Amino acid sequence: MDQREVRSAGLGSGLPEGRDQDLDRLLTLVARGDESAFASLYDQLAGPVYGLVRRVVRDPAQSEEVAQEVLLEVWRAASRFDPSRGSAVTWVMTIAHRRAVDRVRSAVAAAEREQKTSRLLSARDDVAETVEASLERERVRRCLDGLTELQRESVTLAYYGGYSYREVAGLLGVALGTIKTRIRDGLIRLRDCMGVT
Amino acid sequence: MRLLHPDLHILTGAYAVDAIGDDTERDRFERHLRRCKPCAGEVRGLTGTAARLGLAASRPPPPQMRGRVLAAVARTRQLPPATDRHSPRGARPGRVPPLAWAVAAASLAAILVLGVTVFRIQHQLDQARSRDRAIAAVLAAPDARVITQGTSVGGTATVVFSLARHSMIFTSAGLPPLPSGRVYELWLMGPPRVRPAGLLAAGPAGRSVPVLAGGVVRGDQVGLTVEPAGGTSQPTTTPVLVIPLPS
Repeated sequence: MDQREVRSAGLGSGLPEGRDQDLDRLLTLVARGDESAFASLYDQLAGPVYGLVRRVVRDPAQSEEVAQEVLLEVWRAASRFDPSRGSAVTWVMTIAHRRAVDRVRSAVAAAEREQKTSRLLSARDDVAETVEASLERERVRRCLDGLTELQRESVTLAYYGGYSYREVAGLLGVALGTIKTRIRDGLIRLRDCMGVT
Repeated sequence: MRLLHPDLHILTGAYAVDAIGDDTERDRFERHLRRCKPCAGEVRGLTGTAARLGLAASRPPPPQMRGRVLAAVARTRQLPPATDRHSPRGARPGRVPPLAWAVAAASLAAILVLGVTVFRIQHQLDQARSRDRAIAAVLAAPDARVITQGTSVGGTATVVFSLARHSMIFTSAGLPPLPSGRVYELWLMGPPRVRPAGLLAAGPAGRSVPVLAGGVVRGDQVGLTVEPAGGTSQPTTTPVLVIPLPS
């Protein structure tokens, strides 16, 4: 186990060495109104935020809008970040995912039901398409490969596709209880594979 | 509630990936989370795991976004820290006495109710001047107290009451909608007898319009049942909520 593995086992955000703590510190400064700390935070997290939102929302213009809202929310609510409940990265990515999901589940999105099909298709494709770029992506891919097919489909449709577990159950033609369980045990297996604590 | 736990527990995964689409179900799970330490721990780990999946999707943001966000930041006021509701966690998780949490939650609820009610007072003066004056009087009573509790069908109810003024205000959020022909009816259930205290009307954002009820006496309990439209004079179903009003 190399140094990186050891660190990840402890903190597990998957970011390069020490960046986790840097970001926690930056966010603490942001909470006190430090705009230059926010600019540094932006430079490190705008890519992950935009990428995730784009994956879920698909439409570039809407994705940009949502990503901006997320980053502004990070500024606004920085004082509510509680390091005892997880890292700054997790906090930011959680806000990003929630906002992206809110957007696709909003009334506007509901009116465009047919887009669902494309979301379904791309939720599958993109996992293969984008996880190649870096070591971290490679690791996520390896871990996803370690799941059963149903676990992998359930987790990726829910997370990248932005579907509720009911929708996932409908898409896969599987009972609700089974989907709830597969999302949970799929994530648990990913957690153990990635060494997230 | 106990029996629901195994079922709720498997929702940790769905919760971590924002896949609980139903607001009522998510509220119920979040309430469960506050009481279930192992669940909260598991959600923490799974949320961290989900964040890793998110990082794997990283891609360069549009270049113009940086300037826009930084400009917005420069003119946006930040939220103050959330009091010290969470601070004891670091010291020793779980050592906060349940009463302290209840008090914290109740004062938060009081602020929310006050906010909502004051808002309503400002906007409904024309239609309901006297009723709102009465609500304001309950809120201003020196012995006014606030109790918030979940119902057995989901959603939460908040009661502000004053024994000195023999009054209470009832509001709720997230109660499941009823089929047509049914209504939520409020009761004051005292040792002498059970009295109807009003029907709930749906307000904005899943909340009910605040109900003001008089004649509250020491020893009363507030109850909520599902009744035929128009209400009944005595409850005909098992209450979905009973809140004792402590004296």
